[in-house]
Amino acid sequence: MRKHILLIGIITAFIASAGFFVFYPLPESPAAEVENARIKISEARRHNADTYSDSLFREAQSLYDSAMNTWRKENGRFLYSRNFDSVSFFANLAAQKAVEALSDSRTNTLSLSAETEQKISEVKETSEALARRFSHYPLAPGMRKNISRGEILITEARHAMEKGLVAEAYKKISEAGHLILPAYEYADSNLRNWFRSYHQWKEWADSTINISRNNGDYSIIVDKYSRKVIVYLNGEVQFTCRAELGKNWVGDKRMKGDNATPEGLYRVVRKYESDSTRYYKALLLNYPNEEDSALFEYSVRKGMLPRSASIGGLIEIHGNGGKGSDWTAGCIAVTNREMDTLFSIAGIGTPVTIVGSTKELRSVMIR
Amino acid sequence: MKTKIFMGMAAVAFAAILAGCGKTPQTEIDATNAAIEAAKAAEADIYLPAEFAALQDKMNAVNTAVEEQKGKLLKKFTTVKEDLAAVTAEANQVAANVVAKKDEVKAQAQTLMNDIKAVVEENAKLLPKLPRGKEGAAVIEQIKADLGTVDTAVAEAQGLFDKGAFMDAYNKIKAASEKANALNTEIKEVLTKARIRF
Repeated sequence: MRKHILLIGIITAFIASAGFFVFYPLPESPAAEVENARIKISEARRHNADTYSDSLFREAQSLYDSAMNTWRKENGRFLYSRNFDSVSFFANLAAQKAVEALSDSRTNTLSLSAETEQKISEVKETSEALARRFSHYPLAPGMRKNISRGEILITEARHAMEKGLVAEAYKKISEAGHLILPAYEYADSNLRNWFRSYHQWKEWADSTINISRNNGDYSIIVDKYSRKVIVYLNGEVQFTCRAELGKNWVGDKRMKGDNATPEGLYRVVRKYESDSTRYYKALLLNYPNEEDSALFEYSVRKGMLPRSASIGGLIEIHGNGGKGSDWTAGCIAVTNREMDTLFSIAGIGTPVTIVGSTKELRSVMIR
Repeated sequence: MKTKIFMGMAAVAFAAILAGCGKTPQTEIDATNAAIEAAKAAEADIYLPAEFAALQDKMNAVNTAVEEQKGKLLKKFTTVKEDLAAVTAEANQVAANVVAKKDEVKAQAQTLMNDIKAVVEENAKLLPKLPRGKEGAAVIEQIKADLGTVDTAVAEAQGLFDKGAFMDAYNKIKAASEKANALNTEIKEVLTKARIRF
């Protein structure tokens, strides 16, 4: 009898349990929400949100991970005591963030793409302007290296854009900009500063031409920027030839050894035949003139030049030119043939005016 | 005796209900994760980023399916196991494809590097022949600087190549190659204009 009661009890308990398991509602699975979040994140990643909306995407990813971890944790608990509210919460938030990341990424990609394209075009333009305007400008070797490195980076940026790697292209073109723009700005501002003396140069040049006109004699103007030696007779151009200058030809000469060609009103003070100079023939100028000496002394006094500095001298128009480079220590070199002409034209006292440019900055910049 | 057998059966059935019908395929999950990690170690994320991302996404989908089954009274992992097997096979395929892709990029980088070295050598030979006229020393200085930069880029690319970073080496050498070729053209044009034989 007892056995029967026990058996009936067990069967009843079993049926009750089975009934409980079958009919008692299980906690609702968060699978749909998690799956939705996964799809949204996947879609966002496909559109490069991990690159172009990094923080929102990472947030979405982290929320998704939280959803999965919580889900795993809840699944470790007894079937009927599981609670998936947090899982759904995290998953829904993850999906929302992924959608935001996708939209943000699309906007960012478009704007970054436009910005990068513009930057590429700007930097490329600057690089071309540098080559056009300052190809013969004395720039430090380091700066030339930067320009060159920048040009390669422009190409790398262009390649990255072609592959759709906008962020990488942006990085490359920014780097290129940091190398090329300062070089251009340096050269440009250097040139502009130098051309502040233009009015002075023009006065000198005009007065030199007037002297030629009034005296019916020869006068020589050396235009450093266009590298020309221009000979005037009776105020008219008689002869021009190409000049080669000091290595550091931009700006006035300040001291001995600066490899700069001086600017000012000079005269021929001595003529050297071939046997008296190693530069074929030479016309020695009266550098330093009074103004040069005064400026030099002032510069030393004010500490702008070292006390040990010397003003230098022996500035000549001489032969052995035609090398095509600015190679002298400050003199003006021409070919031997041209030197013959100049030598025959110039006498002691012939005015030689050296100016930065005979043309205004705007006309030399339009190139 | 009958009673005991019946009780035993009832207990087993009860336990079976409690435990569910399937067991989490942890071994398969681990194997799939290992296959994905192997693909990543082979740099699938660098050489085949889209395929690798798809792989990760598929694994996420499987993880969701696993947890979904775990939450059920009657668990069934048959589909999950099939999916895991498919993802493992795909991961193995991606890993194999990476090797092929790497070889392809490596060969491309190597070809470009050989080509550029020849151009660099030719440029170095042509440089002294440039007329020192017209354009002036500054232009020659810029060409020298350009050649120096190309040399540096080639050395950097070689370094990356030697380290096995073939994609980075390829990207670097491609831009340097364009520059080297442009310089070559520029030098040759100047020489041709100046009627200098080269």
